[in-house]
Amino acid sequence: TRSQKAVAAPAPVEPKKEDKTVEFFRHLYKPRMTSIAGASKDVHPAVLALGLQMSNYTICGSCARLVATLQAFKRVIESYTTPPGNSLTRHLTSHVLSPQIEYLASCRPLSISMGNAIRWLKLEISKVDINTPDTTAKADLCEAIDVFIRERVTFADQVIASSAAERIKDGDVILTYAKSSIVQKSLVKAHEDGKKFRVIVVDSRPLHEGKHLAAALADLGIEVKYCLINGLSHNIQDATKVLLGAHAMMSNGRLFSRIGTALVAMEANEADKPVLVLCETIKFTERVALDSIVHNEIAPADELIIPGGALENWADMKKLQLCNPMYDVTPAEYIQMIVTESGNVPPTSVPVLHRLGNESQ
Amino acid sequence: MPSFQAGYAPNLGVFLKSLKTQQLESSIENLISLLKRRQIKNSRPCAIATAHLLLRVVAKFRWTDIGKLLERIREVGQRLIEAQPREMVVGNIIRRVLGMIRDEAKEDRNEDVSDSASNSQIGSPQRQHSDLGVAKAAAPPPTFSPLRFASTDASELAETSEDDVFGGRPQTGHRPPLLTSHTSFAVLNGVPVQQSMFNLLSATPSPLATPPGTSSPHGKSAVNAASLAHKIATTSKDLKAEVISGIEEIIDELDQVDDQIAAYAQEHIHSNEVILTHSSSLSVQKFLLKAADKRKFTVIVAESYPNDHEAVHAAVTGKSKANIEGADEMSTEMFVKPLSSAGITVILITDASIFAIMSRVNKVILATHAVIANGGLIASAGARIIAKAAKVHRTPVIVVSGVYKLSPEYPFEFESLIEYGDPGAIVGYQDGALVDNLEVDNPVYDYVPPDLVDLYITNLGAHAPSYLYRIVADHYKIEDINFHNPELQF
Repeated sequence: TRSQKAVAAPAPVEPKKEDKTVEFFRHLYKPRMTSIAGASKDVHPAVLALGLQMSNYTICGSCARLVATLQAFKRVIESYTTPPGNSLTRHLTSHVLSPQIEYLASCRPLSISMGNAIRWLKLEISKVDINTPDTTAKADLCEAIDVFIRERVTFADQVIASSAAERIKDGDVILTYAKSSIVQKSLVKAHEDGKKFRVIVVDSRPLHEGKHLAAALADLGIEVKYCLINGLSHNIQDATKVLLGAHAMMSNGRLFSRIGTALVAMEANEADKPVLVLCETIKFTERVALDSIVHNEIAPADELIIPGGALENWADMKKLQLCNPMYDVTPAEYIQMIVTESGNVPPTSVPVLHRLGNESQ
Repeated sequence: MPSFQAGYAPNLGVFLKSLKTQQLESSIENLISLLKRRQIKNSRPCAIATAHLLLRVVAKFRWTDIGKLLERIREVGQRLIEAQPREMVVGNIIRRVLGMIRDEAKEDRNEDVSDSASNSQIGSPQRQHSDLGVAKAAAPPPTFSPLRFASTDASELAETSEDDVFGGRPQTGHRPPLLTSHTSFAVLNGVPVQQSMFNLLSATPSPLATPPGTSSPHGKSAVNAASLAHKIATTSKDLKAEVISGIEEIIDELDQVDDQIAAYAQEHIHSNEVILTHSSSLSVQKFLLKAADKRKFTVIVAESYPNDHEAVHAAVTGKSKANIEGADEMSTEMFVKPLSSAGITVILITDASIFAIMSRVNKVILATHAVIANGGLIASAGARIIAKAAKVHRTPVIVVSGVYKLSPEYPFEFESLIEYGDPGAIVGYQDGALVDNLEVDNPVYDYVPPDLVDLYITNLGAHAPSYLYRIVADHYKIEDINFHNPELQF
């Protein structure tokens, strides 16, 4: 119909929509699904809902997404029946789980911890004996998922939280960036242990996740100071320790985390403040990263628009691009210690712990 | 003077307009309260307002002797600085005016001494200068004090043209102030006239001596006895006129400084470079636009949330700042087209993305609020982490700043320079309980130490940070540096 219109009225030729892709990140752009329209019919309703929650950041954070995904997959497995002439081992992964995973990835790229967990789940499924009856196999798998969540996340978080809380002393000023659930747990634990300390929460646009952390801590009666990343260099001097969460730990010891974390670690390093990363081993990966451009996630540029601001119709401006990456990579030399459930290690030990974690599976 | 739109919101434009009609004392009070209420803020508007106010102070001053004038300006300056100590440029302008008055007085004295000795040389530098002025020289020849700038319209603006203040004569001898000047140009009936009897006799007027269009080369010799007598009667006013046109030159410099800086742009920006800049600055924007005339490159703009992001967004989308409340800088400036319309790809990023993107950046260009004599600078909050991130990536950091922002003060307590802004910009009242429970911190400025800066580009050229103290010495007199708190005087 467009060509017909163009023939009929050649004067108002619709200008070709300009490519707003930022060249550095071209390889990372993926259309993000924001409604269930067009989703495969094989996708389970629980997963459909989860996908949307992820794409609009209702469920956000590496661990939260991992747990939610596994729980949704449990529902998928529960409602699964092996079709006649097939075995669960051969059928479940390729025909049922794959479309779920594909759909989730189309809503928001999978986190590294989710990738690790899915790899584990596939391995578990492949280990199911062909002769096991369906109900037993399903119950076993669900049990295994529960154990996995308990061991790798819930219990790991408790170990990390008490280990990190031990490091917080009376009079400490803890600086943290954005919101990490494990940092929050550690601070709450330290507070419950009766430690007297202050917290500085540094935050940034567009997600303002730190605001939730600051509110939660302030509600507990912890003295909290909140600033945006423009106040970082002023506040770093007051801090005594920097606690950071992680999206993933790379095998070359670098930290892959919310965009802006690298700046915080850099400033902490400059001011000689110890930087502690709290990270479950499920977030470790064998992948390596040298900069923040090779692996990353590009969020929709429209998230940067402030309602009523000048950016509202930025898309009409020629040659103007908005860039909204989600993560950055912090050099290993800025990190003094990684607190994991398997102990406190330097960044150089990440590949070792990762191998140990995988072999134990 | 640029024309202003009439408006009710008190801003620079309204203030400058009111200068013409208001009493001097109420103008001073007015500026003090405008500074206090931050209705005039940022370096350039403060500098322009200060210079215009001083122009009025000098014009209204009942001329007795130079010491009284210095004292008067010091007194006004002290009040302005106390009103807003963090706008360091106010102090800079006052110091420059003080220094300029001292120079004028000294020259006047010296002329009496050296009149006969040096009169044959007086003519040549000033002619050279007036010629350069017509040719719109970007910088004066090195023999001239950088305090004063060539400007096209200086002779039209001044009631009395005093081109000979540019003469680089040896300043020897100290004598009590003598307020008579014998060697100066005066525009009488639109004709520049040389006042010195010696010059009258010796000067063979060259065609270069006269600005084109004002008179014939022979206009000079047509000095009649009547005008000479008149001039001698008004000679005590010469110094005042010279001071006034000196201030007008400073005002002209403020007008032209961005274009002068931009003239260096093509030396520093090359094809296909990726330039990172921060916050919205007219100087930087003009600099990049000038480079865009010849080259294609990419500019990454960090938005400087939450204090300057609206201006940044307006600048990148090309929406007039006038629509945005509180942006009074633009009211005195022409609308500058957005970089993207000059064919440059502009990428807007959040401040948090700086480290991630720095590995692809070739150069960082920062704007400043004030530059300190040690080579450090005060810039929008966030500048420090940009400069530091650039340092760890070995990316050169260039600071673009007019010389008028260069302050001779050397604060040891850098925190005292930092201003804190509205916490409501970070946590608004819609956040309810948070407002009560949180301490919210919103610094407006950052101190960037000199070791994070690689190069300064001013209207005088490009300098290493370690050289700035020299430019400070050229621009301010030692005795004026701590004029506002004399107990610190060395």
